[in-house]
Amino acid sequence: MNIAVEFAVVMFKVVWSFVLAGTKWIVRTREKSVVGQVCLITGAGSGLGRLFAKEFARRGASLVLWDINRQGNEETADMVRDIYREITSKREIIGGIQDVPFQPQVYTFVCDVSKRENVYCTAEKVRAEVGNIDFLINNAGVVSGHHLLECPDELIERTMKVNCHAHFWTTKAFLPKMLEQNHGHIVTIASSLGLFTTAGVEDYCASKFGAIGFHESLSHELRASEKDGIKMTLVCPFLVDTGMFKGCKIRKEMAPFFPPLKPEDCVTQAMRAILTDQQMVCTPRAMYAVTFMKTILPFDAIVCMYRFIGADKCMYPFLDHCKESMNNNETKIGS
Amino acid sequence: MDLKNICRAVLFPVQMLCSILKAGLSLLLPCKRRDLSGDVVLITGGGRGIGRHLAHEFAKQGARKVILWGRTEKCLKETSEEITLLGTECHYFVCDVGNREEVYQQAKILREKVGDVTILVNNAAVVHGKSLMNSDDDALLKTQHINTLGQFWTTKAFLPRMLELCNGHVVCMNSILSISAIPGAIDYCTSKASSLAFMESLTLGLLDCPGVGCTTVLPFHTNTEMFQGMRVRFPQLFPPLKPETVAQRTVEGVRSNKAFVHLPWTMHILIILKNLLPLSALEEIQRFAGSYTCMNTFKGRT
Repeated sequence: MNIAVEFAVVMFKVVWSFVLAGTKWIVRTREKSVVGQVCLITGAGSGLGRLFAKEFARRGASLVLWDINRQGNEETADMVRDIYREITSKREIIGGIQDVPFQPQVYTFVCDVSKRENVYCTAEKVRAEVGNIDFLINNAGVVSGHHLLECPDELIERTMKVNCHAHFWTTKAFLPKMLEQNHGHIVTIASSLGLFTTAGVEDYCASKFGAIGFHESLSHELRASEKDGIKMTLVCPFLVDTGMFKGCKIRKEMAPFFPPLKPEDCVTQAMRAILTDQQMVCTPRAMYAVTFMKTILPFDAIVCMYRFIGADKCMYPFLDHCKESMNNNETKIGS
Repeated sequence: MDLKNICRAVLFPVQMLCSILKAGLSLLLPCKRRDLSGDVVLITGGGRGIGRHLAHEFAKQGARKVILWGRTEKCLKETSEEITLLGTECHYFVCDVGNREEVYQQAKILREKVGDVTILVNNAAVVHGKSLMNSDDDALLKTQHINTLGQFWTTKAFLPRMLELCNGHVVCMNSILSISAIPGAIDYCTSKASSLAFMESLTLGLLDCPGVGCTTVLPFHTNTEMFQGMRVRFPQLFPPLKPETVAQRTVEGVRSNKAFVHLPWTMHILIILKNLLPLSALEEIQRFAGSYTCMNTFKGRT
């Protein structure tokens, strides 16, 4: 008898979640405020990391920037400081300085997230200098840029360490405090190559699928432990025009349907999802269709679809481009 | 140029329909099956569990030679003796696939002593089976190294020769947990998801290589020592698979060159639901099905 009741309750909850999901499509959910909160971004020295830093800065959050590249990191920090100055001066023009509002700050740390001890050490420094963090944006990502059989093993390991294993360490470093306070938000910047794959970038796809597997496992763990104050968002952007996959090309006739995203657009959509506690966002929306088709079609049909779009070998020009750049005797590692 | 594109665009839905029909027909009609009598099969983690059953099944279906890799010599020796008794040439070597140098070294020894591997079965796997905060860091990494990176190394070791010979097959024993994660096995789910992507990407890349194919098997909870103690809530509705069945279906998949094998077929429904339902609905269903508590009684290999 109990099972029947429980089943009925579950069915009701399922229907209710559809209703809620439908409502979200119609009614624009309010974005939560991040003023005064602390946001940590890995790989903040360039690409999407930098853009996320600027977006959070515009909304009044304090920032903790991690990157392996000190110069890039400092450049991002300077941009963030400019934004803070802009906000403060606007506030002064509008309302004077009656109350002393929270003054956001930006902190930079050089950290190689592929090294576990480095992550824990830097996390200790963050806790000492900054305090608790509210947002953890696991964004750092690299790609080896070689076909599997030509790829040096160290580069394969590096891709896995930075894109996937690093998430273990950053999360283990900051999750305990979030669990204590039942408050926090973990964002995983994966990729559409974490939902479907293409030939030639086995290491990158493996690392992104792993990051998504980690993210989903963790969100189930948090759900199971009833810590509903800790939110998680998975961001899966399609090819973003940051230079990381320079040369990647799908069939030119299909290109208008799947243009490379402008990084700013990707980040805008991702920010909206993060600030409305959305659990997953794919940019562009067409990606949802692709991933859905992938689940219902037999493999031969999927291959047919990929070949039609030109997605099955879209990374080959990128890999050739990497090979050409290597011919200058410089070790080019896409980052 | 435009006419060519128009034709392509028109042909595309026809091609899709044909693929779907072909897939449907292949379920009903018998298809061309690979003859294993010339094949040298290497099974990592071949000493016990599903690996051991795979060795038996390949031997039973006529493989020329079966080679076992694993970390525990005792298990490898026992399985090797069983296979030899069946009348199939069987060798074993102690090798930890998580150790890159060891893989390359053992691959060289294998080539010299036995010959070229034509079927590589990446089966070796471990599971730590704890929640993230309770997991030991080294154990987390060990799972990634054996379950995921180990496959990179074995494939790099044996695939070049397969491509040269235009004869080969790479098999991956994956898991449904790569697609549908559960709490309490974060190391395993992450590593299996990575491994699935590796195989999918490899499969797409090898489509142009005649004679070399890939098969990835995604079984539901299988009744072996590895996941000892894990308990599904409705075992009558979702009974654990027998490792013999998994082995049988795997070898069939290899012989009919199937790219992906989901066991049981009802897993397809789970995958479709996962993509249709809002995440909160999925979580409720998983909670009801007992996925959230199934790892609470996990013991693993003792």
